[in-house]
Amino acid sequence: MTGFPVLSVMTWAPFVAALIVMFFARHKPLLVRWVSLAGATVSLVASLWVYWEYDQAVAGFQFHETLSLVPQLGISYLLAVDGISVLMCVLTSIIIFAGVFASWTVKERGQEFYALLLLLVTGVYGVFVSLDLFVFFLFYEIAVLPMYLLIGIWGSSGYVQPQGIFGWAFGRTGVGSKEYAAMKLTLYLLFGSAFILVGILALYVAGGSRTFSFLDFQAMTFDPTLQSWVFLAFYVGFGILAGIWPLHTWSPDGHASAPTAVSMLHAGVLMKLGAYGVVRLGMGLLPDGTHQWAWLVGGIACVNIVYGALSAMAQKDLKYVIAYSSVSHMGVVMLGAATLTVAGLNGSVFQMFAHGIMTGLFFALVGLIYEKTHSRAIFTMGGFGTMMPGIATAFTIGGLSSLGLPATAGFVAEFLTFLGAWSSDHRWWLFPGVVGAFLTSIYVLRVVRQIFWGTKSEDPHFQNLPDAVGTEWVALGILVFVLVLFGVAPWIAIAPVDTATVPLLMRLAGR
Amino acid sequence: MNFNLAMPLAVELSLAALAVLVLVTGLIEGTSRSSSAVNARRGAGWLTFIGLVGILGLTFLADEGASLFGGSFVQDGLALFAKKLFVGSAALSVLGTLTLRQSAFSRRGAEYHFALLMALLGMLVLASARDLILLFVAFELMSIPLYLLTGFMKRDAVAPEAALKFFLVGTVSAAVIAYGMSFVYGATGTTSIDAIPQAVASGQPIAMLGMALLLAGLGFKIAAFPFHMWAPDAYEAASTPFVGWLSVAPKAAGFVAIIRLYIEGAGVASHVWMPVLATLAGMTIITGNLLAIPQTNIKRLLAYSGVAHIGYMLIGIAALSSDGVAMVLFYLVAYLFGNMGVFMIVEVVSRSAKSDDIDAYRGLAQRSPLLALAMLVFLLSLGGIPFVAGFWAKLYVFWAAIEQGMYGLVFLGAVLTVVALYYYLLVARQMYIEKPERADPVPVPGPLGAVIFVCVLGVVGMGIYPAPWVAAAMRVAASLFS
Repeated sequence: MTGFPVLSVMTWAPFVAALIVMFFARHKPLLVRWVSLAGATVSLVASLWVYWEYDQAVAGFQFHETLSLVPQLGISYLLAVDGISVLMCVLTSIIIFAGVFASWTVKERGQEFYALLLLLVTGVYGVFVSLDLFVFFLFYEIAVLPMYLLIGIWGSSGYVQPQGIFGWAFGRTGVGSKEYAAMKLTLYLLFGSAFILVGILALYVAGGSRTFSFLDFQAMTFDPTLQSWVFLAFYVGFGILAGIWPLHTWSPDGHASAPTAVSMLHAGVLMKLGAYGVVRLGMGLLPDGTHQWAWLVGGIACVNIVYGALSAMAQKDLKYVIAYSSVSHMGVVMLGAATLTVAGLNGSVFQMFAHGIMTGLFFALVGLIYEKTHSRAIFTMGGFGTMMPGIATAFTIGGLSSLGLPATAGFVAEFLTFLGAWSSDHRWWLFPGVVGAFLTSIYVLRVVRQIFWGTKSEDPHFQNLPDAVGTEWVALGILVFVLVLFGVAPWIAIAPVDTATVPLLMRLAGR
Repeated sequence: MNFNLAMPLAVELSLAALAVLVLVTGLIEGTSRSSSAVNARRGAGWLTFIGLVGILGLTFLADEGASLFGGSFVQDGLALFAKKLFVGSAALSVLGTLTLRQSAFSRRGAEYHFALLMALLGMLVLASARDLILLFVAFELMSIPLYLLTGFMKRDAVAPEAALKFFLVGTVSAAVIAYGMSFVYGATGTTSIDAIPQAVASGQPIAMLGMALLLAGLGFKIAAFPFHMWAPDAYEAASTPFVGWLSVAPKAAGFVAIIRLYIEGAGVASHVWMPVLATLAGMTIITGNLLAIPQTNIKRLLAYSGVAHIGYMLIGIAALSSDGVAMVLFYLVAYLFGNMGVFMIVEVVSRSAKSDDIDAYRGLAQRSPLLALAMLVFLLSLGGIPFVAGFWAKLYVFWAAIEQGMYGLVFLGAVLTVVALYYYLLVARQMYIEKPERADPVPVPGPLGAVIFVCVLGVVGMGIYPAPWVAAAMRVAASLFS
């Protein structure tokens, strides 16, 4: 299609901003922030435009851009979006836009911080819009690697008591430190990408026609045995990023140690890359594999929901609570996908979006609280609601969405997913889901009560704390608004998603 | 016969002439310790470098397809590809050595360069050898100066030990190679390599035994598991710019020999070696990567990581296909740039910090951002990350192996890449995350900076646009299978 390459603009705007930041903004912290904001704004506008212009009546992939890169091997720069990726791009834009504001106060080596952050975002957009699996993989790596430096340099070390029979061994790894978290996260995700690469190469060789195009692969029928193990490879590879149990342990450590904007982006968007990968490549290309392993995907998702919620209940560190709640909520995403029903899959994609906004809001808030109190220990805090009413309100709204209160985005997502679970082949999946929602309400309300509404802490450090100020309001305002907007008007998201999930499921049913 | 620059032996003859010239200039300059004499002796290095650049030019002029001495010396695509690699890497290494301060280099510079050129001559002959005797002689011509060069800083306590270890292991491997060759000769009745495929295809026990022994001997040369022990000691003791070359060129020579002996012209008959080579590749990758983890000295770390890289190249060899060979050649070039660059930076840093420990890289990103970035690029290339050469190298090797259905081996290799990234990231952590102890930038001598620059260009260029290199490697490999 000729026309304005809006997807490229959206994808590369942060990258261009990163280059400008890196080369023209040395020792000019304010310029760094404005350039980054400009990059994020261009992407935001572009993604909203794509959302607006996406023709729901036609459905399928739209806004095609094609450019042959290595014709000998069939690698091309092939961009297009369908209903699912449109929503994911909007999510990414909102989170990075809020993230730029949330990290406005980064002091140390701010120039490099913003450059890496923007580079990361380019990778994320690239994954959502690429239809060439090879380029998809390249973007995926860009989205993963800068994390190491972002967490290692700007992260914060927490204190983790090594426990259990292997406690002595964990103690020696430096668990809890930001270096440990950064290395663990990077290695886990690269381990996953090794699986993905093998899977993609296997499809490429099995397809036999020197193409990496998703659309070409979709037109092929692969041998069921091949489908079976390639699906597993994709599930494990992307699943690691989506935080599937028992490969989720990088997520709490990584998210708890990362700086605010990185936690927002990683928990809010990057974990969705994993789920998106499973849905797009796994379910989209391998119908036999999907049917064969749906029980495993759903079963593990159930473990995720309950295990993540229980772990979140046991945490004393505020950031770990949020991080484990992500593990639990990502379980809902995977559960919805595994139901192979329209309601479930819509719920899954909606949960990706809702959880992205929700967890972005939480990490932004935790970052603010930490900045003002220099503490993340939940049980030393108390009664902050009177000192910081704005933060308290936002946190409460986020918490209510997290536990699935109607009129918030979280409710819509969980309702659809549970509906899908009940109408799927495995009805019992509903019960762990509901138990998880129940446990979520326990740990969320407990945290909210303890920190904001409980008895006032006597600790001298926690007196006269300021509320959010200036730019900080922008991030909170946007995220809370979106959370409520999608709760009261869910069709804004469901309408485009539906145009992608229905054909996907029809293809799966027809095999 | 008319002398012309494109004729088969022109490259070798000019190299021999250059070697003699370097030796003679060294004799003229004498061994006086006055500063003018020291400067003059540095001239031997420049002479070598300029001569090598000229010879590199000659390799591009050379005609392809000529053959001499009844087919025992051939100038085919593979030979020329390998010669460019050898001469190019040697030129880079010599350029890096030019600023070495150690007294050994200022006093015996001509000797050093003469030995290096002789080893290079051995490699060039080896690349063209299609005869067992010539192959063996070339191997020895290459190896003996290398032992010498490893122990060149003889007043250093570790140098003689490492050289001796390298020498003993190397001689044993030479003996094993010679022993294997005698069996092969017994089976085929000729020293020509052409007769080997037929002997292997017929499955004569003597021929198979000979070839197995040969593989063991060559395993020593390329430092594959379980013959890798000499590498870390030799790397640690020898001068760093030389190690950059030692870690690439002789191993490339070993691979050329393997390709000639086991793959060229063998067709399907070569498939008997697939399980052996695949096992060797897998074990080498595992050993190299796991042993690299606990290292605290960067040169030892790179030595073990080099062993792992040999394993990845062996995956390509184990595919025993045209694509496999092509991808090994591509891998060698990518490895050349990445590894050479890393070792040059190690030299720069160790000169400033007087230490080869990984701790010496603490806060490098804040002291010398460009140097740290270059190091990061090289490490990522060695680790196989997109947009730098190493990614394509690994990817292509895996691709060649998947074409042969070796999913397990590819999977093992892909997973162990993650282990490799762990120890590369440890270095990156020192550079980027730790705070520097001093604020002043690390001084980079001009010639070393030039080598690093060339290597960065190579790694990034191949990473962004690998197509011409792949095409060249494919063309070379295809000619071996026709």
